[in-house]
Amino acid sequence: MDKRLYEAWESCVKCGICRSVCPVFKEEKTEPFVARGHITLLSELIKGNIDFSEETAKDYLYKCLLCTTCVESCPNNSETDTIVEIARHEVIRRHGLPTYKKVMSKVLKSRELMDFAFKSASVFSPVFSKSQSKPRDGIKLRTSLAGIEKDRLLPPISKQTFLDKYKDDRKRAKIALFPGCLINYTYTSIGDSLVEILKKLRIDFTVPKKQLCCGAPIYFAGNFEDARYLAKKNIDLFLNLDVEYILVLEPTCASMIKNDYPKLFMYFEDKKWEDRARELSRKILDPVKFLHDKTDALNSLKRLNIKTTYHDPCHLKRAQKIKDEPRAFLKKATDFVEMKKADRCCGNGGTFSIDYRDVSLKIAKRKVKNIEETHAQYLVTGCSACIMQLADILNQEKKDIKVRHTLEIINMAMGGKSEG
Amino acid sequence: MNRRALHKIKNIFKNRCLTDKLSRVQYSYDATQKMYLPDVVVIAENTQEISQLMKIANRYKIPVVARGWGSGFTGGALNIEGGICLSLEKMDKVIELDLDNMMVWVETGMVNYDLQEYVKPYGLFFPPDPSSWKFSTIGGNIAENAGGPRAVKYGVMKDWVKGLEIVLADGTIMKTGSKNIKDVAGYDLTSLIVGSEGTLAIITKALLRLFPLPETKKTMQIAFDNMSKAAAFVNKILLNGIIPVAIEFVDKDAIKTVKDATGVDLPDADAILIVEVDGSKNQVEEDAAKIERLTKNESSVMLFRIAKDEKEADDIWFARRSISPTLKRIADGKLNEDIVVPRSKLAEMISKLQEISKKYGLPIVNFGHAGDGNIHVNIMYHTDNKDETKRAFKAMDDVFNECIKLGGSITGEHGVGITKQDYLEKQIGKEQIELLRRIKRAFDPNNIINPHKMRL
Ligand SMILES: Cc1cc2nc3c(=O)[nH]c(=O)nc-3n(C[C@H](O)[C@H](O)[C@H](O)COP(=O)(O)OP(=O)(O)OC[C@H]3O[C@@H](n4cnc5c(N)ncnc54)[C@H](O)[C@@H]3O)c2cc1C
Ligand code: SF4
Ligand code: SF4
Repeated sequence: MDKRLYEAWESCVKCGICRSVCPVFKEEKTEPFVARGHITLLSELIKGNIDFSEETAKDYLYKCLLCTTCVESCPNNSETDTIVEIARHEVIRRHGLPTYKKVMSKVLKSRELMDFAFKSASVFSPVFSKSQSKPRDGIKLRTSLAGIEKDRLLPPISKQTFLDKYKDDRKRAKIALFPGCLINYTYTSIGDSLVEILKKLRIDFTVPKKQLCCGAPIYFAGNFEDARYLAKKNIDLFLNLDVEYILVLEPTCASMIKNDYPKLFMYFEDKKWEDRARELSRKILDPVKFLHDKTDALNSLKRLNIKTTYHDPCHLKRAQKIKDEPRAFLKKATDFVEMKKADRCCGNGGTFSIDYRDVSLKIAKRKVKNIEETHAQYLVTGCSACIMQLADILNQEKKDIKVRHTLEIINMAMGGKSEG
Repeated sequence: MNRRALHKIKNIFKNRCLTDKLSRVQYSYDATQKMYLPDVVVIAENTQEISQLMKIANRYKIPVVARGWGSGFTGGALNIEGGICLSLEKMDKVIELDLDNMMVWVETGMVNYDLQEYVKPYGLFFPPDPSSWKFSTIGGNIAENAGGPRAVKYGVMKDWVKGLEIVLADGTIMKTGSKNIKDVAGYDLTSLIVGSEGTLAIITKALLRLFPLPETKKTMQIAFDNMSKAAAFVNKILLNGIIPVAIEFVDKDAIKTVKDATGVDLPDADAILIVEVDGSKNQVEEDAAKIERLTKNESSVMLFRIAKDEKEADDIWFARRSISPTLKRIADGKLNEDIVVPRSKLAEMISKLQEISKKYGLPIVNFGHAGDGNIHVNIMYHTDNKDETKRAFKAMDDVFNECIKLGGSITGEHGVGITKQDYLEKQIGKEQIELLRRIKRAFDPNNIINPHKMRL
């Protein structure tokens, strides 16, 4: 394995600073669930001092949100997220994937299977779920399914996917859109908002049909082989387009393509693909940052008579260092109030929220008070996974606060259709 | 470990008794980066079960090492000969806030910073503030008699602990001290236990004094082209009738390390002093102006800067707080000692350290609490280089000898633990060590509480 990985864990001096920032540790309060613990575990595993059974590995290694808060605070920049990902990979290499993650990989690797799964879900959705009074906020299951409790608020499933809705019009476009799975299949309205904004600004774009899932859920599970397959497909597709930027709507997908694709090939010492990944990496841009830096959008906003506050998604603030741009829009268009600890992870963490629902909710709950204190009517954020998590917790806590994507607010302030 | 004993311990702690290797590894280290595997880890939730545990441990003569958050720098929380690791991290609650007496009873697994946050809305604070305040517990702070930057003005843990609930080696639960400001009944056991490095008893609860939050504070950064002059400047400030809440210093190598590691913007100086004053608005303005005037008359001052807001103050402090953990970038080996000398000898000690660094050809990074003469000396060496390693230990010998010669002490805040036990006798002499042993025996006849620390 790469020498740089040894350096990654060698860099930990066991000072314990990470204990003071980790959201999971805050709930669990024991060493195994903090960066210092994870790092020790992997080093001892690689040195052969301890053996991993699948059970213990699951207990210890999967209870990490990969939120990188510890990385940000570590004086030695110990890359815990990378270390945990590799440790998970190591476990999978030894013990294989759990069945539901196997199925997930298979589905995510094929657009046809994904479309089929979500279309069936959309058709059957009325049978096993009920809409909330405000459909934009989501649906609930009638009975618990596949590890998802029935009280959990889920995103609504769109009848037409984002990729089906818009043209693959690559002749003039200098910009390609990558919606990511959640926006493609569920929160299509967020993607629609971006499309409306771009149209108003007269910016041509293309929506490449053959794009696949970025692979983040697979990669985070430690399944590097399948993630590599997806990465190669997407790199090939997007590098062949003659575009300047690829606007990735999901921060997690953006961070995956931008930061993790190169890392992924680096692990396997695959220099050719690592270089290609880096080439693609340079074109990846968050749409809000794009609107802020490269267009006149900020000046075309009308003021909305609403009060907002903002939650920083981990993969936007820490992985891409984007925090001021969304706030600039919100400050211009709305009455904006900063909440306390806006950058504290919401606790979603992908499958973390399914595997450790109780911890995930406890983490989310800590945000509720901070959100409420601002008296905002709208909680705004830049990530649909955070939207899913925060809408769920606010619904459970019976708070009448709407959760919206920054793009939706920008669109509203540019005269686009309002969801109210 | 004795099977019957283990069985009994499991009965008490159930799923909070961990025996698998993975869990034991997780509790085998602290900030010294040394590793010693405990035979079993128990995560305590209340005093009663700790008392039961001690009875078993005492009967079967099993070592018990209390553990806070494992941020100790001298290996205090390590199970040198296995035995039980008793983690108090889940005993972290406030038991009673007594506003009339301005005191608080807390469980000792509570993190220092969490206590600060808890009392802040009441206009109060808890003065002892080790740099590790966000990741160390009150129990660990008490055991090590921890102190931080604010010690110049407010003192260290022992000045703020009024009473304790402790569990003795035989399981007896006992309270020491009281809420009385004056209390001289009997030996002062509270003070004896503060700084005992977890070798006399398990500290389960603490009665702590609180202080009104000062109205405001101001943070200043002063850069010098000469370290000794910076050290001498500390006394100038104090002699001018200003008692800052903190006077910290960072030397040239420390500045460079932090700059490289974190990218923060720091002046290229031989030394930087961080001075913070607190109190009423007027007082603070006056003190800051006085200090600024002093810097104007001091030719070695290259730069003087006052933080405009909290963020700028945080930035100034960030650099200071980041040094220690970033040293690894210079070399993988580090002998990290926290010697202290009388304040009047600070400049002399610093030049001695520079001589020693030259003599052995090894970088020595110094930073610390100039206000109380406490210097964090870091001798850097490469562990794979045998010659460097040997030189580093020799240099350390010199450092301790010079420090003791100047009337200083081998440790100002981290304690003796295992890393400094060789030097304790040099400082305090054979007779005193023998007395310490007799005290230890009175508390713990079977030597089961944190054995092997301080050579006890
Ligand atoms: C980056 C960094 C900066 C630091 N800065 C400072 C500083 O400025 N000032 C300073 O004084 N120290 C400092 N330290 C050292 C360390 O943080 C302190 O010694 C701290 O008090 C240890 O607390 P802990 O909870 O981590 O204790 P641990 O490391 O877990 O234990 C330390 C000792 O206390 C004993 N102990 C812990 N809890 C109990 C209890 N309830 N009953 C009995 N014994 C107990 C343990 O047995 C052990 O001997 C620093 C450490 C680091 C890593
Ligand atoms: S990961 Fe970083 S912050 Fe955590 S113990 Fe290691 S060095 Fe310290
Ligand atoms: S990535 Fe987040 S959850 Fe994981 S150890 Fe770091 S801070 Fe904790």
